[in-house]
Amino acid sequence: MTATDYKVKSKKLKMKNRFHQPSVWRILLLFTFHFSLFTFPLLSHAQQQDSTLLLNDVVITGTRTPKLLKDAPIQTRLITAADIEKVDATNVEDLLQQEMPGVEFSYAMNQLKHMNLCGFGGQGILFLMDGERLAGETMDDVDFTRLNMANVQRIEIVKGAASALYGSNAGGGVINIITKEGTEPWTLNLNGRLARYNERRLGGSFGVNRKRLHNMLNVNHTSIDNIHVNNAENPATQVVTTIYGDCTWNVKDRLTYIVNDQLKLIGRAGYFYREQTRVADAPERFRDFSAGLKGLWNISKDDNIELSYSFDQYDKSDYQKITRLDVRDYRNVQNIFKGLYNHYWNSGSVLTAGADFMHDYLMNKNLGNRTESQNTFNAYAQYDWLVNTQWEVVGAVRYDYFSDSKDSHFTPKLSVRYQPIDNLNLRIGYGMGFRSPALKERYYNFDMEGIWIIQGNPNLKSEVSHNLNASADYTKGHYNFTLAAYYNNVHNKLATGVPHYLPGDDKQLYLDYTNLANYSVYGGEATIQARWNNGLNAKLSYAYTNERFPKDKEGHTINNQYIPARHHSLTARIDWDKQITRNYGLRLSLNGRFLSAVKNVEFVDYYDISKGTSTIHYPAYTLWKLSAVQRIGKAFKVTAALDNLLNYKPKYHYFNSPLTDGINLMVGVSVDIEKIE
Amino acid sequence: MLNKPLHIIGITVMLSALSACHGILDDIYDEPSGDMTMREGQLYVDASSWTAWYYIDLLNTKEGFVQMNIPTEELPSLNTQPSALNPKPGIYTYWYDVFGAGLSNHEFQSFTPTEAQPEPDTWHIAVHRNNVRTNGGAAYETPYTSMSDLPESSDAFVNATFTEDEWNELDVWTIREQMLQGFVGNQGIEVNPVLSSWLKLEIPPVPPTFTLNNHVFIVRFADDTYAAIQLENYQNAAGVKCCLTINYKYPY
Repeated sequence: MTATDYKVKSKKLKMKNRFHQPSVWRILLLFTFHFSLFTFPLLSHAQQQDSTLLLNDVVITGTRTPKLLKDAPIQTRLITAADIEKVDATNVEDLLQQEMPGVEFSYAMNQLKHMNLCGFGGQGILFLMDGERLAGETMDDVDFTRLNMANVQRIEIVKGAASALYGSNAGGGVINIITKEGTEPWTLNLNGRLARYNERRLGGSFGVNRKRLHNMLNVNHTSIDNIHVNNAENPATQVVTTIYGDCTWNVKDRLTYIVNDQLKLIGRAGYFYREQTRVADAPERFRDFSAGLKGLWNISKDDNIELSYSFDQYDKSDYQKITRLDVRDYRNVQNIFKGLYNHYWNSGSVLTAGADFMHDYLMNKNLGNRTESQNTFNAYAQYDWLVNTQWEVVGAVRYDYFSDSKDSHFTPKLSVRYQPIDNLNLRIGYGMGFRSPALKERYYNFDMEGIWIIQGNPNLKSEVSHNLNASADYTKGHYNFTLAAYYNNVHNKLATGVPHYLPGDDKQLYLDYTNLANYSVYGGEATIQARWNNGLNAKLSYAYTNERFPKDKEGHTINNQYIPARHHSLTARIDWDKQITRNYGLRLSLNGRFLSAVKNVEFVDYYDISKGTSTIHYPAYTLWKLSAVQRIGKAFKVTAALDNLLNYKPKYHYFNSPLTDGINLMVGVSVDIEKIE
Repeated sequence: MLNKPLHIIGITVMLSALSACHGILDDIYDEPSGDMTMREGQLYVDASSWTAWYYIDLLNTKEGFVQMNIPTEELPSLNTQPSALNPKPGIYTYWYDVFGAGLSNHEFQSFTPTEAQPEPDTWHIAVHRNNVRTNGGAAYETPYTSMSDLPESSDAFVNATFTEDEWNELDVWTIREQMLQGFVGNQGIEVNPVLSSWLKLEIPPVPPTFTLNNHVFIVRFADDTYAAIQLENYQNAAGVKCCLTINYKYPY
């Protein structure tokens, strides 16, 4: 389903839900439309598109059915294309850390990126691109550079366990990136941005819209040099001395064919390439090939079916410049078939049922057998019961089966929404999350430069989490307030455990994947956002996260390879937008984020754990970005931004320090060719 | 009406059949080959081991190389502390500021006396990862980057300044079990600093980087014979570092 379909369906739901009389709804819509025109007569075009409050936007991820954001029974954080433009984000990492508190990107070993979202990271958060899983991992996380923000319509973030709808890896939540679909007869956008360290971002998109055929082609390129950074003497733990740059190419095409009023076909294909040079003669290469076909069939006014096939292949190779050999050492291929059925009742209630099949293939030179594969099958059902205009209850169950481990799971979820008064929504829910052991975690055998051998464990159990969450949001006039709290209890967390020697060998250390003892993560978030008639918008979000350190089943402190979440974090944005003359508009934005200090317990000596642990203190920091966007005519935008406005330079570039070496000037241009007059 | 969904299913099945379960586009990659066919005047030695020297006899390269492990067993000794004037064979453990200033910032930690490094009867050069020794020789780095560009004979270099092997207890990394803490046990031994510059190891960054110097080196041996030597590659087909492809001309 496209966003337009969702909106249509959602309006239809609202219609059935509240009034049961379409004509009344239409009249109200028209009234609202005219009222908004009169209420905001001075707002610019850009301002009218502003999404600060977003309450009438449609979201899909929480229930797999379209819902107005304000009526969604599962609390969903929405980031729109306008938000992305305001922070001038290049990829999902760039965006999330500027837009959301409680999210942090840090380094894992070998400078691979690791995300922590509310205490969950790596494979605990499920990333979807237009609803599809992504193949490949780099130290447990997806390759975030794949997820560039060009042509993204919106990003929906559902925190908390969502495995009842999405299966494995959705224990901490789901981040669904949804791309744009063209609506104009044709569009051609060209854009570019330059910054320090030879950072370049070039992009182009070409869209064609005919009666039954829509096509959107996107090409994007980024590059940045390696950055050598300085550290003071005597760091408390490992530091980064070179921030490795990279060069990426990302090509995506999406073709939509509307067969008739009831049937729509969507085909897509994509290619991604990234090269990173850590060793001058042997740059590392990362490639992804993706394709898919989806059919959307409206069987009747109350029933629809979605069938899809998705292919995603993520490869890693080393290019040996001297011999010109490009040698592949990793491949993950996912072939996924999905079916989804929805039935809508006149009352507004919805039944959703679906089933997926996935063949997962992994080739890794560090696997014992070099290649492994498995099939997974699941079936799920959800009933979204609109009890009345105030109460909504959503229950879901799911069954998953994994052929390699012969493991199966039954996963439930229950959510309740209550609307006691207009513009106030209260939500409460319980969800189970789980993560089946990855093939890597079961069969890995990796000699990490002689430090230790990381070993897979075929006897691993699935990680299971229980999530309780509650939230309230209230809108009054220009203001919207949101409060949310959550508690997660995690059983059998999958991780590497305590380093150990094998009997009779006191030379070689081993580090095994294992299931850890129970531990918990809890926290909350508060957001206030406002939109005034004079073009000013503001948003302030605060998140608290308490991630208790996991231990192994014997109570030993483990080798926690990732730094835990910071207790306090805050993001802030204020922007002002004004169409000054017919052909000139200006938007000024100030974005900032603050992350509190955090402590981590680490071994004093990795080779002699009897020496115990020490607590490493990682400092707090704040970063701010000031940007100005000038709109010249309808077609041109010129952007200038000062990133790291306060010229913050970390004393030590620890693995969770911001990747900055001081203030950075960014200059960009965007041209919509079809709008040139 | 049912025809259309059937078409969808048909197209889906066709697409899935086209994309192999094990992936597509294998051809864009190269397969590492175990075949290390060498040209005349070229040799290959896997010197990736941390714990062995590989001794090369340039007159007898077809016979292979002699591997001699680095002694690490502690010897009982009444006076175990070496001095600058009296360096002793053994393992010198240093701390390196691996995650800070890098290898240039280091500090001696301990000494473990061992047997001297064993050597075969005849050899010209020995290699250990990025380190090279000569058998009583000395080396000079030429500006040439191709063996074919070299002057006709070594007479052109008789007046050049050759550098002999020098005592070293920082570079022959042998014991790496505590490398993550910055502690490395190095063999104390004479190595040739000029010839060893053909492959430079640098920290930072971490993991280390290797830089190939493809200049041709002239080595003068104790018997006043000369060899021209060049490191062509330091990786094998699978990307393993310190697997050396060496071009040589001997006698030169």
